[in-house]
Amino acid sequence: MTESVAAVEIDGVTKRFDDVVAVDNVDLAIDDGEFFALLGPSGCGKTTTLRMIAGLDLPTEGSLRIFGDEVGMAPPDRRPVNTVFQAYALFPHMTVRQNIEFGLRMRRVRNPELGQRVAEAIGMVRLAGMEERRPDQLSGGQQQRVALARALVNQPKVLLLDEPLGALDLKLRQEMQQELKALQREVGITFVFVTHDQEEALAMSERIGVMSEGRLLQVGTPREIYERPASRFVADFIGRTNLIEASVESPTMVRLADGARIAAETSMPTGSQVAVSLRPERVRLQPRGTAAADGSSLDGEVCDITYLGHAVVYAVTVGSTSVEVRSEGEVGEPFAPGDEVTINWDHGAAAVVAD
Amino acid sequence: MQPAGGRPVNSGASGEEAAARAKRRQGVLLASPGALYLLIFFVVPLVLISVYSFATRTSTGRTALSGWNLESYRDIGDNVILGIIGRSAWLATLTTVLCIAVGYPFAYYLATRPRHVRAVLLVLVMIPFWTNGLVRVFAIRFLLGSNGPASALSESLGLGTFRILFTPTAVTIGMVYGFLTLMVLPLYVALERMDWSLTEAARDLYASGSKAFWKVTLPLTKSGIVAGSVLVFVPSFGSYVVPDILGGAKTLLIGSYIASQFRDARNYPLGAALSVLLILAMLLAVALNQRSGSGAEGGGRPRLRRRGRAGGEAETVTAAAS
Repeated sequence: MTESVAAVEIDGVTKRFDDVVAVDNVDLAIDDGEFFALLGPSGCGKTTTLRMIAGLDLPTEGSLRIFGDEVGMAPPDRRPVNTVFQAYALFPHMTVRQNIEFGLRMRRVRNPELGQRVAEAIGMVRLAGMEERRPDQLSGGQQQRVALARALVNQPKVLLLDEPLGALDLKLRQEMQQELKALQREVGITFVFVTHDQEEALAMSERIGVMSEGRLLQVGTPREIYERPASRFVADFIGRTNLIEASVESPTMVRLADGARIAAETSMPTGSQVAVSLRPERVRLQPRGTAAADGSSLDGEVCDITYLGHAVVYAVTVGSTSVEVRSEGEVGEPFAPGDEVTINWDHGAAAVVAD
Repeated sequence: MQPAGGRPVNSGASGEEAAARAKRRQGVLLASPGALYLLIFFVVPLVLISVYSFATRTSTGRTALSGWNLESYRDIGDNVILGIIGRSAWLATLTTVLCIAVGYPFAYYLATRPRHVRAVLLVLVMIPFWTNGLVRVFAIRFLLGSNGPASALSESLGLGTFRILFTPTAVTIGMVYGFLTLMVLPLYVALERMDWSLTEAARDLYASGSKAFWKVTLPLTKSGIVAGSVLVFVPSFGSYVVPDILGGAKTLLIGSYIASQFRDARNYPLGAALSVLLILAMLLAVALNQRSGSGAEGGGRPRLRRRGRAGGEAETVTAAAS
């Protein structure tokens, strides 16, 4: 983001439906060529944000630019973006070819360019031979590809995807994740996609914007979001985590209610109430007394064990809270309920989050 | 799930048969009152009409049930009668087209209101429908009459007396008013089922608002237009009350003509033959509707079937109203 113009620039955008604030003063810049995910639970405003970029909803306040051009109030047919709709919204009365041609025909693109671009798009999503079928004669994955081709054939500057994989079953979803990533690299267009599935967001995108209750809480790479969540909500929403109540003692140390100390960096002022996020898979279990007390360990007692095949999940009682510890590749049954243990982690695995 | 020997298997098989038999018996019981009613009051008269259409009219105006012939059907070829049929068909077509023109925007408006508003508006649409048809037609007659408010208004504007009653225009106004609900209901059903994300997709793919309507909304609600057209065209083709009250003698239509054959001219065979023709035309229209319903859109067959049922409901409502 040096001199280049942002693909999408959202500036203080608010959207109100009657009295309900769907999107609350969001600022966001999405870079050219980026694969960006808007992530959040249902009703968090992510879809409304996407619809405002598409022009299907208009912002109540704020400005919205696409490659520098103000488009906030422009109708959808006057924006250089195309959308892959949630349930694809393929025209049921048209064939695959007619669906894909639709946008080009509306812009009066004529043969031979029309035929050439449609053929290219069909080839890109591997739908050759399906041109004359109707959407209801296609599988879910094929419909998804038609929706992609129908949007990409227009060579939009930004492609918007609303829960693009939501209607597919798990196996197909994982395949399509890879396919979408490859496709994005191939066409080099900015992809903005909306999902409530945090794993999907982590796996596919270069950057993620986490939303909740209309607000954009944090924007960052998947690694930043996962390892350095800025708030309790983000820590809890992305992956599983243990949140341990604490208060800040110094910029490098927090103190739990029972007096135990955890080394963790924080910019919060001394004395403020925070939570420490500890990812279950970053925590190890050891017999009591074998780990050094260096601010990266806590004493506890095994309370419950869940065997998952590829992993074992321990619930460890530490003080008044229960900490989940996830252990993979374990041989035998090293711990039993009631065992006195110490949990420890690598320095830096504990992240301080504000409320 | 306990394997209790061979017994459960045997009783299971015969139990299945017994259940199927019971289901069939239940079906017969449920259908028979309606079937019986239709047999006595619909099928039997229909057969009688068909039989009469082949009978002979004696010189005294009686109908002789002998000497079966096709004379009455030949009489239909008479220019006067063909003219009446043509005029009826034209008026029915005009009524249908006007009903679409008025009904579609209205149904669109209805279908795009919030759910609770829709329920209220639908009842409002139905109220004239539940009102006695004769009363409504006489109300229109008063409205359009030379002593009525329309005339008074035109006189006060200096346009002279309003002479519209007993013209085809009056008949058309009356018929559009009378049959509009039959058009609005199937259109409403089709539009209410419309997936609006499809029009959004069209807008997203560079279609203007009106292009999105012509390319997506209209084709996807075609089944409603077809169903509504059949529901309006068929009864307006054979309509009798409205042309009789609003049309006067100048606009003789097939419905009135048939009535006059039975009442005044005492030509039962010709009246019966024309009735048979009308019924055949109606069956043809319904058959065409069915075909376009199942063949037009590759997608959503269950959807279309549901639409068809809604049309059927509207049909029963008409039957009850008239």
